[in-house]
Order: sequence, then structure tokens, then C-alpha cells
Amino acid sequence: MMKGFLKHHGASNIAKAVILLLALIFLYTPIMTLVVYSFNESKMVTIWTTFSLHWYNVLVHDSAIISALCMSLTIAVMAASASVIIGTMAAFVMVRVRQFAGESAFMLFMTAPMVLPEVITGLALLLLYVTLGDFIPVFADRGIIAIWVAHVTFCSAYATVVIRSRFIELDTSVEEAAKDLGAGPLKVFFAIMLPSLMPAEVAAFLLSFTMSMDDLVITSFIAGPESTTLPMLIFSSIRRGLSPEINALAAIIIFVASIGTFIGWLSMVRKQKRIAADVAKAQAEAKRERESSMLGGLRG
Amino acid sequence: MPISALNATQALIRRKLNAGPRRRRKAELLLTRREVTWRERLVILVPYLWMILFFLMPFLIIFKISLSVTEIAIPPYSPIVTFEDGAMQIILHLENYTFIFTDEDGTYMKSYLKSLEVASFSTLLCLFIGYPIAWALSKCRPATRNIMFMLLIMPSWTSFVVRIYAWMALLKKDGLINDVLMALGIIDSPIHMLQTDFAVYVGIVYCYLPYMVLPLFTALLKVDYTLIEAAYDLGARPVKTFFSVLVPQTRSGIIAGSMLVFIPALGEYVIPELLGGKGSILIGRILWQEFFNNRDWPLASAVAIVMLTILAIPIVIFFKSQRKKAEAA
Amino acid sequence: MEASQRTDAAAAKPQDPSPAAKEPKPAAKNTHRPGDLPGQKASPVEQHKKPILEISDLTKKFGDFSAVNGVDLTVYEGEIFALLGSSGCGKSTLLRMLAGFETPTSGSILLEGRNIVDIPPYKRTINMMFQSYALFPNMNVRQNIAFGLKQEHLKKSVIDERVDKMLKLVHMESFVDRKPYQLSGGQRQRVALARSLAKEPRLLLLDEPMGALDKKLREQMRLELVDIINTVGVTCIMVTHDQEEAMTMADRIAIMDRGEFVQIGGPREIYENPNCRFSAEFIGSVNLFDCTLISSDQKHSLIHTDDFPSPIELGHDLDLADGMPLTIALRPEKVYISKVPDEETGGSNCCEGDVENIAYLGDISIYYVRLPSGRLVASTLPNVDRFKTGLPIWDDHVYLSWDPESCIALTI
Repeated sequence: MMKGFLKHHGASNIAKAVILLLALIFLYTPIMTLVVYSFNESKMVTIWTTFSLHWYNVLVHDSAIISALCMSLTIAVMAASASVIIGTMAAFVMVRVRQFAGESAFMLFMTAPMVLPEVITGLALLLLYVTLGDFIPVFADRGIIAIWVAHVTFCSAYATVVIRSRFIELDTSVEEAAKDLGAGPLKVFFAIMLPSLMPAEVAAFLLSFTMSMDDLVITSFIAGPESTTLPMLIFSSIRRGLSPEINALAAIIIFVASIGTFIGWLSMVRKQKRIAADVAKAQAEAKRERESSMLGGLRG
Repeated sequence: MPISALNATQALIRRKLNAGPRRRRKAELLLTRREVTWRERLVILVPYLWMILFFLMPFLIIFKISLSVTEIAIPPYSPIVTFEDGAMQIILHLENYTFIFTDEDGTYMKSYLKSLEVASFSTLLCLFIGYPIAWALSKCRPATRNIMFMLLIMPSWTSFVVRIYAWMALLKKDGLINDVLMALGIIDSPIHMLQTDFAVYVGIVYCYLPYMVLPLFTALLKVDYTLIEAAYDLGARPVKTFFSVLVPQTRSGIIAGSMLVFIPALGEYVIPELLGGKGSILIGRILWQEFFNNRDWPLASAVAIVMLTILAIPIVIFFKSQRKKAEAA
Repeated sequence: MEASQRTDAAAAKPQDPSPAAKEPKPAAKNTHRPGDLPGQKASPVEQHKKPILEISDLTKKFGDFSAVNGVDLTVYEGEIFALLGSSGCGKSTLLRMLAGFETPTSGSILLEGRNIVDIPPYKRTINMMFQSYALFPNMNVRQNIAFGLKQEHLKKSVIDERVDKMLKLVHMESFVDRKPYQLSGGQRQRVALARSLAKEPRLLLLDEPMGALDKKLREQMRLELVDIINTVGVTCIMVTHDQEEAMTMADRIAIMDRGEFVQIGGPREIYENPNCRFSAEFIGSVNLFDCTLISSDQKHSLIHTDDFPSPIELGHDLDLADGMPLTIALRPEKVYISKVPDEETGGSNCCEGDVENIAYLGDISIYYVRLPSGRLVASTLPNVDRFKTGLPIWDDHVYLSWDPESCIALTI
């Protein structure tokens, strides 16, 4: 790798392929094994007997898992929606307003939740809820709303990063053009900026959704006794030992996530290709236009 | 319009302009600053208030509670401010902090050190494994790069707990790795891998690797490769070129990636809990135990505050690198 | 700029235009008067049109830095006015103040007599064509053009009719469903123009209209743009750093430097009668000589320069005391170059030297001639002769001469 970081060919190409192959083996072996063993008939997780969908059947009839899944999904959709709204506002502030009183603190609040260890965030939020619970009952019983608030807090930081990176690329003169043509500030945002931000908004939504679906530690701290999310259920089950039912659940999660990522990726690549083709077409036309203009210039 | 105030501000800015280059840039920004409209104020207010209420406030409360002692009550800690016979008493307990630092077994200090060790070592591991991957990815043709990028990212979109669970199955005594090694005749009896530090490292690297690869990849894409050609042209050896040209150019990616691994890894709870053994008492686990098992909220708060203090420097480094990136854009 | 002059300009009535009052610096005295020569566009000023835009004492400061510094300007109905200057001269800031994207620090902008300084951009009857065209990427051509009309809540039939008219005007009827990224540069420009004209603005602003096009396309689009603007009859202010663009498109040009106007006038006037060294050097190329006035009577002026052995002679008087310093500007194409001495000059307005360098540009060649005094003088000759017989070559000893009328005396 040391030698090859300049050249595109030969040894460098082999090094590149080997590195990526090793990385993929490292990343996919655990997941694939998991999926394979989810089709194992035996109750023993590690000994292969025969192919069976038995554990999937057990899974769909497990009411605890189904209700935990529903709860996780509800929270994730709600949290992702709110995070995208807050993230868009924060990104707007960072890119367009840029300078105002307390701007450093604002930036810190919008980045720190991404990196802070979850145990700290979880504990801090729980203690807040206990304190607030005296005045606001929603926080006292620490149900779905309390979990939602916690998830929005850390998801909106991720949403901000994603939306901001797109926001930076927006052309301010397009917004000025809209104003120039008579659109007020709100109209400019919804008719001009939002459509351009849409890919980032979708990405931010998906990221927040996954983050919320996936969160274990923070949710464990704040969730009241009646609220159990899917990761909490899986975690407590794993602590009791490996179980083929969890394998089946994991396989489904992996399947859904892969399909989601793949579709997202495919639509992105398709769009890029379409735009590239259109741009090439327009360039070809421009060339023709230029040539005809030269001829026209000489004739005229 | 208070003209005198404006003049005073401008005088201040002028003075700043005469200061060093970094300050100068800031002052220049101040000069071109425009008025913030009431609509913009409203937009600032929503995320700001949310974060103050649900991010800043909790930390103030954590700090407050770390200064009380545990009590059998609801909530299970002593009040700091009490009113008795018309007199207000403020009692600040420092016992939790003194306990952390002077505990006879040294459990807390040991686990802080252990956490630092694990976090630092995992960060280095991620950097050494992630840099070649990011490099290989950045040097692919765009079409291949797209596919590879998706494949590398895909596992991190699946559940975190599930990924740890997958490693538990692999690393077990009768797990796949031992089976394969035995079948190949490399080992005679299964190696004990699960519930060791090795397993913790594997878990952390596996889960945090994308956080390292992503910023490195972004930085590597922006590298000006003519500089490397220039370095070669001037006679620098590959290793020398790597450290004197490529590393400085990807510095921002290295810093961001390292911080994205180091900071969360320091407080990691799930990975040492599931993959680590009795020896892997990291501070995240201590905090969890104090809170859930011993129900000692004040001590747990104090543990968190000390951890935050340790993390202050890396968080500031990360924050600054993020800001630089934002300003450069 | 004095206050009295400002009020003059602001109160200028249709029958009493006072172009002199708009010039921030007094023009140097010389006898060249612009006549009805080709290239001298009929300025609307001279056609007694009524003013549409009056800017007075307009200033924009960014902290200590004055981007626009106390500028006065009157633009008349139907003219194309160009703000010409290098980057950072304040021309874009001035344009953005007219559009409403920047708030002036002081001064007023009157559009048809109404001060528009405090009106937000979306309520002004001024529209702008942006340098990058700023087409809305998520809308097709039709939606882009209709956007401004939709903000006025017009009836759909009215909007459709107006959009069709605009599409026809810019010859884009067959591209209505395309998105901006599916268009070429020239097509984008047409859409941008149609979009900014759709609302029938009182004033059209063009920010570097050709800035995003390549050179070949530029020349064609310039004429097309002027055609369209003239068809619509809209008053137009454009900003450009390209003097050729300003000269071909505009009726009047204002040269800007460091936030102030240096000279305002028609293209020919500015080229032939620059009022200061900056103007002379900014437009085209010029030989400048530092001189002193020897004597001046009613018909002749004799001027001394260290660069020539003989004095420069002008055919008119100069309003300057004898012995005072001045600058003589001489355009290279007005310096005749010959391998034999010119008999008619009679000792003045000529010199000799050696060809040091020749820049061959195809249509013309620039000869750099080194005088015995060490001074380098540029002279251009058209390459009319295909095999350049008789033209001077390197190291030839040549004789330079010029007409007295070609010299421009500058005092600032």
C-alpha cells in the first residue's frame, strides 16, 4: 500500500483488490453466518442439522417481539420526522445565518450528541426526566414520548450533519432569483430550497430512523418498566444466551436493512447516471449550437 | 441607532484586524456580518431551545446530583437545598468524587485507565485497518467505488446488538472460528476467545470501523496527487512521501475519524458486557452497574462527570475540526 | 460631488437633460467633440428621454471598506447602461443594491420618482438576470419562466399566455419541458432572460450576462440579447468586466474604480475622449507620455516630453498654465509606422526608433518600438498584405508619426 498510493496499475491494483476483499470478508462473515444458522432446525445455535423455517415461525408468533417491534417502529418514525425538521433548521442556521450571538454554543450542541458516550447521555437524560417528572407527567412515566424526545436529541445532530453538507452546495443566487421574482422568504424556502435539499432530507430521515431503531443504551436508561424496544428485548435475550429465534430476527433485520440500503443506493446511482446522460446530451447540443453559430456568423 | 456603540465596535474590530492572521479572519467575518432577521431568530430558537433543554440541562442536573449522596427515597438521592425552620441549607457532598479516586480496591481508577487503554488501542487499530481500506476505496473507478462504498456501509445499517451477537456466535468455544481452525488442524483444542479483551477489540473495531473509514475516505478523495508526484520527482521515498505528503493532507480525516472512534469507545457498555470477560471492567460497565444494580445515582453521576472531564479535550478537538470543515466550505 | 449638482441631476427634466452634471470628475479640456460617427450610438440622453432611475449619493460600506462611495447616476428610459470595472470595483454591489439584496449605508435610489431603498427585493418592479443564471433546478423551462408570474397570483390563462410570448421571444418553444441541467449554456441564458422579462419589469439588471458562456458563443449572444432587449423596450443596467461586451451592447457606459464612477459616456466618447489616465488605460491599450506644457495659444499647443526629441503639437488650446505637467495619451492604432521618414510632419509629432518586438495577432500586429530615449512605444498595423511585404520586421529602424488630433491631453 505504501508503494502503491500513487500508481493506478499493476501491484497497486492487486493491493487494492486484496485490501477491499479482506475488508469485505471481515465485515460479512459474522453477518452471513448468523443468517445461515437462522435456517437451522436445531435448538443448538452452532450445530447444523437440517434446513428449516421453524425459528421464523416461532418468531412471528412471539407477541413480545412483535409489540417491541411496533414500539420501536413508532418511535423511530416519530423521532426521524422531528429530527429532520430540527436538523433542517439547524443546518439553515449554520450555513445561511452563520453568525449570531451564542453561535459557538449552538455548534457544540449540534455536534456533541453524535460522539458523547451513550451511557453519559442516557444517564443525563434520565436524571432530567426524573427532575422534570415532578412538573410534567409525560416525563414521569417515561413512556413513548420520553423516549422520542431522547432519540430526537441525538438523531437531530446526525440529521444536521447530513443536511448541512447538502445545504452548503446550494447556490444562493437561485434563492436571490426567486426573491427577485417576487417570492417571500417562506415561499423561497418551500418552493426553491426544499426541493434541492430533498435527497439530503431523505438520507437524514433514514439515518435518524436507523439510529433510533438501533439505540439500546440511552433507551435502556430512560425507558420505564412498561416500555421495551426491540434492541432492549434482543439484548436481554442475548444476555441469557444464544437463541436461534434471535438468529431469525437478526436475519430479518439484516435482510430489511440490506434491501433498504440497496434500493437507496440504486436510486442514487440511477439518478446520477440519468443526470450525467442529460448533461452529456446538453453539451453535445451546445457544441452543435456553437458550430452553427460560427457558420451563421460567417454567413450572416 | 446608537452610533457611538457602533463606532466602538468598529474600533474593536479594527484592533482585531491588526492581530494575527487567524483572528484577522474572524474579524473580517464580523465586518461582513449582516443583521439577523426576526424570522431567522425564530429558526435559530427552535433547535437551540431543544438542545438547551434536553442536552445542556441534563448535564447540569447530572453535576448537581453528583454532589449529593444516595438515600432510600424517591428520587434516591439527598436533596442539595433543604429548608428547615426558615433556614436554607445547601449541602454539597464531595464523597462521590473522593470515593472514586481513593477507593481501596482502586476499581474506579483501574477501570478508567483500562477504558483509556482500550479506547486508544482500538482507535489505533481502526486507523491502521481503516486507512488502507479508505485508500483502496478512494482509488477505485467511480462505478466500482459506488458499489464498494455501499457494501462497506451496509453492515452498519443493521442493528448494533445483532452485529455483536454475530461475533458471539463466531468467537464461542464451539463457534465457527474454532471449528474451522480445528478442522484445518491448526489447533488441537478450542481457543478461549469469547469473554476476553481480544473479543472486545474485535467488537469495537467491527462496529466503529465505518466511522473511521468515512472521514478518511472523504479526505483521501480531496488529496491533490500531483503533490505526491512532485515529492517523488524531488526524490522522496514512498514511506517518506506517505508521511510527509499524504498524511498531512488527510489530517482532518484522521482527526475526525479518530475522535469518532475514541470518544464513544471510551464509554462503551454493550461490547465489553457481551464480548468481554470479568477482566474487561470498563468505565461504561461500572456506570451501568452503579446505576442499575446498586441504584447509587449520585455515584453514577460522579463517574459520568469524571468521564466527561476526561473527554473534554477530545471533544474540543473534534468540535474544532468540524468547525474548520464548516468554515472551509 | 457637490450638492447643487446632485439636485440638478435629480431634478433633470425630460427637456433638460444635463449629462455634464452626472460626471463625477471634470473632463479634461480638449476640442474633440463626439459627432455622428459610426459606432457613436444615439444616446437616449440626447433624444430627451425621461429619467427612470435616479441614484444619489449612494454609499455601501462593509465595516471600514467602502464598496460603493457616494455615487450619483441617472439612467434614462429605454437605454442599455453598462457598469464597467475590474473585480472588486463595486459594480456588483451597486447592482445588488438596485435589486435589493444589499441595503445601502446611505443615499437614495429613486425608481420613477419613488425611493425603493426600503423595499424588499420581492416587492420591487426590478428583475435581474444572474451571472450563473440561477435557474431553479427542480423546475422545467416553463415553470421557471412562470415562477415570477405565479407570485402575482395571476390567472392561469394569463400566465400561460405570457409564458408562451416569452418562449417565442427567446426562441425556446421546443424546450418547455426540459430541466435546466438538460440545457446548454446559451439555452440557459435565454431561459434566464425570459424569466426576468416575464414580469415586465421597469428595469432589467444583467449581472455579467456573458460570464458563463464560452468566447465563441458570447459574440453571437451579445447581439441577440441586445435585439431582444430592444424588442421589449426595457431599460437595462448591466454589469461587466469585459470592455468589448460593454462597448458592443451598451448605449452608455460608466467606468467604475474603487467604488466611484471615473467616467460616464457613450462607447465612442469613452474610447476617443477618456477624461483621465485610468479611463484611457482601462479601455483598450494606450501609450501614455508624461509631459509639460510649453506654450498654448488659441490654435496651437506645444508640449514637451523627455521621451521625444521634438515637441508634441496640438491643434487646439489647453486651459492650463505654461510649464504645468500633463499626460498625453496616444492609441497604438493612431501611431503610423513607416520605414521611411514622413515628409509632411515638419519636425513635430514624430520620432524614430528600432522595432524591438512584434506581436502577431492575425488581423493586426502590434509593433513595439524602442526610442533612443529608452521609451517603448506601441503601434498597430492591420495585416492587409498577405505576405507582409514592406512591413517592418525585427530590428528595423522605423519612423513613427501621428496626427495632432490623435493626441489626448489628460490632466488627471
